[in-house]
Amino acid sequence: MTKLAQWLWGLALLGSTWAALTMGALGLELPSSCREVLWPLPAYLLVSAGCYALGTVGYRVATLHDCEDAARELQSQIQEARADLARRGMRF
Amino acid sequence: MATGTDQVVGLGLVAISLIIFTYYTAWVILLPFIDSQHVIHKYFLPRAYAVAIPLAAGLLLLLFVGVFITSVMLKNQKVTKKAQ
Repeated sequence: MTKLAQWLWGLALLGSTWAALTMGALGLELPSSCREVLWPLPAYLLVSAGCYALGTVGYRVATLHDCEDAARELQSQIQEARADLARRGMRF
Repeated sequence: MATGTDQVVGLGLVAISLIIFTYYTAWVILLPFIDSQHVIHKYFLPRAYAVAIPLAAGLLLLLFVGVFITSVMLKNQKVTKKAQ
């Protein structure tokens, strides 16, 4: 089974469970506080996933290290390439 | 370590995401279990907004992405027309 199929299968399973519980189709008498928590659950999971993504991106932006040596090496390689191409007649 | 602005922006994003997460978790998960006479309910909107606001924000995001893609595509079209 492909990854897409797996994800869709999982989503369909969880979605149908949530729908069945929210609409009381299983005949369970859940306490009202549990029902209050249950019905916004998909929105809650989406917002948490978004917050996690945002937080991870922010953390990685803040902790990405500069590599001085690699930067210098790259700049010198760029100069070399420009000189070489200019010699072969390419105009910048 | 990443330089000045990067650190500020990065940590700012982390802080925003934590604030949104804790407020939303308290709203959706914790509030139903707190007695309805408690003073903390004053700091949270009615429950329907817990789904309406993220939904509206998501649609707004889709709108911006769509507008951005359209503007880039139109700009590209104009460039190729000029080149012809």
